[in-house]
Amino acid sequence: MGLISRLLGIIFLVTGGALFFLGQGDPVLGIFYYFGGIMVMAMGISLLTAGSGKKEEKPPPPTVTEIRCDNAECTFKEIRDFQNGDYILKALEAPCPKCQGSMTIHGVYVVREEPPIPII
Amino acid sequence: MVKAEPETVEMIQMQIGAESEFSWIINLAFFAFIIIFSLYGAKIQMWQWLKQIETGLIELKKMAIESRQTSIDTFKKFGRKEDEVAKDLDRWLDYFTIMPVDLDPAGILKRLDHLLDERRDRFQEFVTDIAPEASQSELQSLENTLEVTQVLGLIFRIVRHFFILGKKTGSQIMIMQIQMQMPDLLRLAKAYFDALDAFSAGKPIGDGIGPLVVTKFAREYGGTAETYVHEISREVGYYPIDVEGRTVYALRATGPGGTVGKPGLAVKKLVDNHKGSIARIITVDAALKLEGEELGRVSEGTGAAIGDLGPEKHAMEQAATDNKIGIEAIVIKEDEAAAVGVMDKKILDAIPEVVERIRTAILKRTKPGDKIILAGIGNTIGIGL
Repeated sequence: MGLISRLLGIIFLVTGGALFFLGQGDPVLGIFYYFGGIMVMAMGISLLTAGSGKKEEKPPPPTVTEIRCDNAECTFKEIRDFQNGDYILKALEAPCPKCQGSMTIHGVYVVREEPPIPII
Repeated sequence: MVKAEPETVEMIQMQIGAESEFSWIINLAFFAFIIIFSLYGAKIQMWQWLKQIETGLIELKKMAIESRQTSIDTFKKFGRKEDEVAKDLDRWLDYFTIMPVDLDPAGILKRLDHLLDERRDRFQEFVTDIAPEASQSELQSLENTLEVTQVLGLIFRIVRHFFILGKKTGSQIMIMQIQMQMPDLLRLAKAYFDALDAFSAGKPIGDGIGPLVVTKFAREYGGTAETYVHEISREVGYYPIDVEGRTVYALRATGPGGTVGKPGLAVKKLVDNHKGSIARIITVDAALKLEGEELGRVSEGTGAAIGDLGPEKHAMEQAATDNKIGIEAIVIKEDEAAAVGVMDKKILDAIPEVVERIRTAILKRTKPGDKIILAGIGNTIGIGL
């Protein structure tokens, strides 16, 4: 929801609250002020909270490709964006920049942020 | 005309609970509210439910349409024009499989297996027609893309059917059921919708952890793509490896195309080929985690870890039972979204633990000279040999 609806919501809420308390002293019309105030406040709250129930969708996390050198003694590891044609255990043609050995894709994955699991 | 005495008016007002001059209006409104809600409460609630279903239905329709477009965009890269692909795809989205009759259950699994083979053949034939320039492994991944689009279209059409039928008949129970199932249906549809990216781009999915574990294990013991024995059953093969004096047949579907293959029948065939010498069957698969459990948690148990419609699991259990072979399962816990979505890092991180548990199972429960079947169950999309 935009800024205007939020502002309108606040105005409605304040007006409703004023009406609600204005009628307190009037024994005859007080009840109308009371209900009128509640209705205007409800409209204000609706305007303020509209759209807040729907969470903004996060874009999916990027898929990355993890490349490692096949040489057990070499520690070279590279993580780059996924490219079409990548798959796990694919042998790459490019040599390891550290030891010139062969390299293999060891992982194609996403890292999702998840809320911690409550310990119950 | 008889004029009511002021005392009489006051008495009537008091009878409806009036304390002041105007409060009777409030009391009347209160009674009206009670009457309206007792008579029309159910109708108001139905209207509310229908509105909620409609909102969900719009979401489902959006997913179905977008997935159809993604499929068209993916297929048209392989040699056919967009309008031709769209026309053929729409025809195919209605494709159905009639389950075998279960009034006479004898032999039902054989009949089901036959129907599933036939269905698979038709799918392959269709995908080859629609993407003539795709390679074998691309065809398998395209088949998965098609299946996801089909599932999303089906969910939308079924919910729409009950929504319209419920509206037509005014059946409260029908509308209530759909409204109550809607969050679950939306969650399922969202999981498949998000997975479309993985299938169309050939990325590995969470369900592929079984075959991946098997390959990683086989590689530790010298198994390679060259030693992999192809097609012991449809799209399934194995690495023969030696683990501390035992012969292990590390079995999985052939990747990196998206296929599950027929691992149950492959196990049965291996057992038959090595009559009496298979000492143990170990299955590795992804399993649905319970809410609150950690993603990628490893569990083990007894039985065949495979989630097919029946024939594969039956073949595995039958082979184990007939030959008195111990059968155990190691599973990696995932939710639906993680199982059909791009492989999550947490699932990949479970591999060393699963490999260790397999090693322990082999060393503890078999002896040197034994033959063991290690079966990695799952979709091999994006997972090489």
